[in-house]
Order: sequence, then C-alpha cells, then structure tokens
Amino acid sequence: MKQEDNWIFALKADELDNGEKKPLLIEGNKVLVLKVGDDFFAMSNKCPHMECPLSKGTLEQYVIKCPCHDWRFDVREGKFLDAEEIRVPIYETKVMEEGVFVNLSMEGAGK
Amino acid sequence: MKKVVMYTLSTCPWCMRAKKFFREHDIPFEYTDYDKADDKTKEAIKEDCLAHGSEMSFPFVKIDDEVVVGYNPDKYATLLDL
Amino acid sequence: MDNEKRKEQLRTMFSKVVDPLGYKFSPDEELVGFLLEQEVNIEKEKGSPFCPCQGLTGEREHDMKLVCPCIPFHREHYDAMRRCWCGLYVHKDVEDPDSLMQISLKEFRESKNKN
Repeated sequence: MKQEDNWIFALKADELDNGEKKPLLIEGNKVLVLKVGDDFFAMSNKCPHMECPLSKGTLEQYVIKCPCHDWRFDVREGKFLDAEEIRVPIYETKVMEEGVFVNLSMEGAGK
Repeated sequence: MKKVVMYTLSTCPWCMRAKKFFREHDIPFEYTDYDKADDKTKEAIKEDCLAHGSEMSFPFVKIDDEVVVGYNPDKYATLLDL
Repeated sequence: MDNEKRKEQLRTMFSKVVDPLGYKFSPDEELVGFLLEQEVNIEKEKGSPFCPCQGLTGEREHDMKLVCPCIPFHREHYDAMRRCWCGLYVHKDVEDPDSLMQISLKEFRESKNKN
C-alpha cells in the first residue's frame, strides 16, 4: 500500500480554532484532534492511566490535562510530563485542501 | 512502659502488621484510623503527619516521643528495648 | 460491577502503566489481591482507586498524586525502596518482596542529603 493511502480525512481545517479539540472515531479508533497555534495534532483519546477521554480535559498550550486524575501530556510527542516513559499514542497529521488528515498507521514515536 | 500511639488506615495491610507486632509482643497501644475518623480528629492527625515529614504515609507510629513512619519491626523493637 | 471483575480491570490497566517505569505487580499474590480489593472499595466510595496506605487531605493537587499507580509522583523515593509505599508494585527484578522495607519520605530525604 502506498503511504498516501494511509491518510484518513479527520475534519475540515476550519472546524477547530487555536486551543480547540475534537474527539473522533476513525476506523474504530478513538482519536483526539487538536489545534495549537496553526498546527494540528492527533493522539489517542484514551488516557494511558485509566482510559479516561482526554477530549474532556483541558488544553493549555501544548499540554493536555486528563479530566479524571490530572495526568498531563505534551500533545506533540504524547509524553506524560511526570514520567516520560509513559506516552499517549500520537499520530501524524497533515492539511490538504482545507482538510485535516490523520495517519493512523504511523504512530509517532516522538519527534 | 513506653506509650505506643498509632495513626493507621483501615485499608492498609502494613498498619495491620504493625498492630499484630505490638499484640504479639504484649505491648499495649492506641490507634486511630485516619480514614474513619471524624473531621476534627482527621485534621489533628493530618497536622501531626505533615509536621513530622510532609507526607501522609501510614502507619504512623509514635513510641513515646519517637516517630516511625512505616512498618518497621526492627525499629519498633529497638525503641521498645525488646 | 462486581469487585473481582474490577480488580482484574485495574490489574490489566495498571500493569501497562507500571511496566515502562520498571515495575511489576508484587509476587506476593495475597498482598496484591488484598490491596486491589481495597482500591476497588476506595474507588466506589471516593471515585478513584487511591493508595490504601496513604491518607487523603481533600486538596486535589495532593490527592491526585495518590491515585494508583502513584509511582510517577514519588519516583525517586520508591526507586530507593524498590517498591511503592503500599507494596503493590516492586522493581521488576524483585523476587522476595518481604525483604524490602518501607523507608519514610523523611528518612529517604535525610539519607539523600548525607550522600
């Protein structure tokens, strides 16, 4: 399969403003798409602690805080701020023709 | 005989082991379960624990004026000259 | 949900959390079963599976650091003991958990300052 085949449409680029986020179900995966500044990020919507939906948490700059127990993650790399060995799976995003696309087949290992 | 006073949690197995230790050595002791205590008692225990070592770890064992935080039979024995 | 089922769920979720930190569930199955039972009851009463051996103060910032597994918030202290405070988790290479002592935070800090 060619790589471009793995890009899945998530939402329209104008659906999110800076600091906003939206939970989506993409091919059966709970994915959270966020916008910080001009950039879009995508990550699993399940907190690696107890699987709470991160979409209900608060986003400040690049840090999302889980609503259940306040675990904080960097949306760029998925790292848990208090122990970097723990990560939320993150996914690559790209914007094409006003649409935000997510690549679920390439889980970002932290850039 | 030295006075043994303990703060414990009803859910904590190490608190149970500490009680067992004193019973087995025929040492009388008093204890209060922090999680079951009324608000006023809770506040007093909290102050005591935080003042000692800025933590809320149990068991918190006072043997006269000495404090042992945690289940530590060797320390209990030393302090009680067992 | 019955307690046994929730205990198993917590076990599955938490083992994924502690594994990358270098910890595993204690080989003392009886202790693990007892502690998980307490956590399930605490979760029913207070909404989260807090540590059964540490006290809540009612301040969110303090209490959230005691939700199991609380290792990330007490890393250095627990690494020195090679176990967490309640003993639910131990370092992966530990086979005899009874050999590990509880060291209070105060003692830990004092010994650290000496070295």
